[in-house]
Amino acid sequence: MYLKDLTELFGVSGYEKKVREYIREKIKDRVNFIEEDPLGNLIAMKKGRVDKRLLICAHMDEVGFMISNIEDDGRLSIIPIGGVDPRAIIGKKVIIGEKEMPGIIGFKAIHLQRDEIYEPPKMENIKVDIGVTKKSEAENKVKIGDFVAFSVESKSNERWFSGKALDDRCGCSILMDIIHSDIDLYYDTYFVFSVQEEIGLRGAGVSAERIAPDLAIVIETTTSGDNPEFPSDRRSTELGKGPAITFAHSGYVVDERLFRWIIDVARENGIPYQIKRRTVGGTDARRIATTLAGIPSAVVSVPARYIHSPMSIINLEDYSNTLKLVSILLTKEARL
Amino acid sequence: MIIADVLRSLSSADGPSGYEYRVINLIEEEVKKIPGVSAEIDHLGNLIVKKSGQGKKIALFAHTDEIGFLLTKKESDNYWRFTTIGGIDPKAVISQRIKIYTRSGDIAWGIVGMLEPHLQTEETRRKVPSLDDLFLDIIDCQDRVNAGDIGVFSTEPFLLSDRYFTGKALDNRVSCATLLYTLELLNNFIPKAESYFVFNIREEDGSPGAKTVAYRLKPDLAIVLDVTHGDISIPSMPKIELGKGPALGIGPVIDYNYFERLKGLAESISVNYQIEPLGGRSGTDTDLIQITRGGIPTLLVSLPLRYMHTPYEVVNIRDIEETARLLSYFIARGGE
Amino acid sequence: MKELIRKLTEINSPSGRESKIREVILDELRNSIDGYEVDKLGNLIVWKNGKSDKKILLDAHMDEIGVVSSFIDDKGFIRIEAIGGISPYNLIGSRITFPESGIEGVVGIEGETPQDVQKNLKELNFDKIFVDIGARSREEAEKLVPLGTFGVYSAEFVDLGRRIVSKAMDDRIGCAVLIETIKMSNPYYKLYGAFSVQEEMGLVGASVVAFNINPDFAVALDVTAWSDTPKGYKRMSIELGKGPAIKIKDNASISDRKVVERLRNVAEKNGIPYQIEILIFGGTDAAAIQRTSSGIPSGTLSIPCRYVHSPHEMIDIEDAENAVRLLKALVEEEG
Repeated sequence: MYLKDLTELFGVSGYEKKVREYIREKIKDRVNFIEEDPLGNLIAMKKGRVDKRLLICAHMDEVGFMISNIEDDGRLSIIPIGGVDPRAIIGKKVIIGEKEMPGIIGFKAIHLQRDEIYEPPKMENIKVDIGVTKKSEAENKVKIGDFVAFSVESKSNERWFSGKALDDRCGCSILMDIIHSDIDLYYDTYFVFSVQEEIGLRGAGVSAERIAPDLAIVIETTTSGDNPEFPSDRRSTELGKGPAITFAHSGYVVDERLFRWIIDVARENGIPYQIKRRTVGGTDARRIATTLAGIPSAVVSVPARYIHSPMSIINLEDYSNTLKLVSILLTKEARL
Repeated sequence: MIIADVLRSLSSADGPSGYEYRVINLIEEEVKKIPGVSAEIDHLGNLIVKKSGQGKKIALFAHTDEIGFLLTKKESDNYWRFTTIGGIDPKAVISQRIKIYTRSGDIAWGIVGMLEPHLQTEETRRKVPSLDDLFLDIIDCQDRVNAGDIGVFSTEPFLLSDRYFTGKALDNRVSCATLLYTLELLNNFIPKAESYFVFNIREEDGSPGAKTVAYRLKPDLAIVLDVTHGDISIPSMPKIELGKGPALGIGPVIDYNYFERLKGLAESISVNYQIEPLGGRSGTDTDLIQITRGGIPTLLVSLPLRYMHTPYEVVNIRDIEETARLLSYFIARGGE
Repeated sequence: MKELIRKLTEINSPSGRESKIREVILDELRNSIDGYEVDKLGNLIVWKNGKSDKKILLDAHMDEIGVVSSFIDDKGFIRIEAIGGISPYNLIGSRITFPESGIEGVVGIEGETPQDVQKNLKELNFDKIFVDIGARSREEAEKLVPLGTFGVYSAEFVDLGRRIVSKAMDDRIGCAVLIETIKMSNPYYKLYGAFSVQEEMGLVGASVVAFNINPDFAVALDVTAWSDTPKGYKRMSIELGKGPAIKIKDNASISDRKVVERLRNVAEKNGIPYQIEILIFGGTDAAAIQRTSSGIPSGTLSIPCRYVHSPHEMIDIEDAENAVRLLKALVEEEG
């Protein structure tokens, strides 16, 4: 399991280099083939028993920001990359650019706020402070276009893991675990660590076009909603109930045959699972399915709380059950 | 080539999305004056100009379509309801004279009327009419117009001062002029690249033009030329100014390596440039081109423009000259 | 043709669950085609050889909008999510059928007080409604409608003479028109008929259907909105009975100018009534087909339809018949 390392690395959409390099280093000796495509997707292949191709993917990118302007007082204006909720970002430490310059997102003290306390902050009022007072000082340290990522230390025990970017470093870790195991793959399996999912599902489809697989499975980290403020009948998944299997989401109804096959395999092998209830959100499956002449795709996810914020949580039993289920799936012929 | 003259004829030509052929034909005529290139119009109507050379395949894109109008429903006699092609502020349409192309080839004229102040109530004066409240008063050839007829703004372009040019459709005719000038300048080199200058259709409705040409050409690098807001303060963004050179886009949809090379070249040949941060999709042809085929490295170069999508947009001719200078050198050096 | 339309609209096949409608369509066409294939996503593609090498693609989508069960509470009430653009407003007072379970339910709305109900009706969304299949416990309901069961409107086909009404006219009427066109034409071009999946989820099937065909041009067949009811959309002019509509533009694409001209010329030459359509919202499979690979000139021929996406969509039978005449003339035209 590579969660600690993966979640502490910085890989905002479009700037996934550090995550990609870490993963490449860890897996390159365990695969038959590895390459990086023009968009930055990392593709690794392990041969199977038959000549057909299965694409399994997880996205490397996380939500974050980019420096859009350096103000006269040396503070940095930022614009979001991906769906960051502005209400969740006050009082956070961030890291800027390749040189990993530290900064903080500060905000006006509560004492000085009146009606604004309950207004969601506007991005234009949010600035990053790197401890300088003049534009010229800032320009020596950072530049427009540098990425800005949350800097969060992970914490875990035997059952729980909390940190940033669990969406979708969980998926990446699962793919890495599978590569390191010695499972008997049925298909020639293409492990795609994709880019730019958070800004519109941009990376995976490109890899799918190059690989032209017969089918695809997307490993995601998904919404739950299991907290006391959210009605139980509108929850998406629940932590501790096992991997979540998707029947439909935004823009795509998962191939029915694959959906039923995955559930049957879970049942036959006594792996706890849940069906993802809500159809909100989208995954790379939509893009992959509509590539070339069509690629039947399925989605299996680790449930998580508070994704797209700088602090999310997963249940480690869900992680290992998801890993178990996907490992078994990869040894079998899909029922298409 | 006298840029102001070419810009004048490009701005006067009428070609809303889906009906660009008059503009395409005009550009083809201009291209014929340039030696050493071959041109072809593809099955969708895109104009593709090729300049041979040894090296990488670089494709430059400028969309030729402009915003426009479509007659939808006859109210009575001479009054017609209409809709827009592309996003147009209703305020920019009020009291404009619209040029309508009828099926028979005659030009009809319509006026978007504004009720006299004397007849308006306090309440009406405070509201801005929406497209549902407006109508076209067809004053001439009213018996020859039909639903589906297209219309454009009828403004005549002219030099506002010695460097500033104004007219309709400078989004994106200013880029078309820039590409033409670049082609001319390229004659001074033996380029180390095979370059394609694509004057594409239909950017305003989701890029089937650019994306499909990119698919066919499969270039090693795609450079999109478009326009960006100039001389206006946008919160959190650097101020991009007319006359200060092209704005180079940076962000996830831009290839970082090529960006650095282009920027480095600009500095070494003293071309003024500006930086335009893009947090996610750019809203230009770049977005779809980047994820076409197996992924294509992309750059976005934008010319600063005032009053976008209004009948009198403004550009600075110097920006055209500087951008063309930069691009011709870049292509000549094979994108290095 | 009414019988065919009735047969098709009565099938319950929401997006992602199209096997039943695909079977029925294939059955209808078996004796009129030279070949068929079901592609990776479930699109049905049929073809009929012509005299020339050129290819024309006509497309209609097989799926209809619907719902899917997302939660069953302790008392056996079922929560649902939308499949495609189905509005909760059209569900109030409607019946839903779950074809895989063979069971029907009615839609109810939450409200702890009369004011609550009023408020919920004003700002309605899927969180405030539920389906009641008459179960008296969670176990009973789960057995019949487990999580992930798809449902559609329960509404019969009604023949009102010139006008016919049913659920799923969008786009079974397109399918019917396409089936009749294939049966009745002696095409000059090689004629491909695509019956696409998951259009309502976002043109999923259409994004891939033309990939291996590479037609010279394509025409999508779908329903379009209407403006001829009291205080109907004032900026559009689409009326039932005035003929099939040749689409200039909608919110997802602009029809290729040459395809539009072609459709117009064929209509005028053959004395077939038609209207010009400009839709200020919406989209069809043409938007996805036009972007396939290096591009395919595409357009749409629409059947004007009232109350689109409700359980009671209404079309004029002559518009459908004229659409068939137009398409037959189009595919038989030489050159």
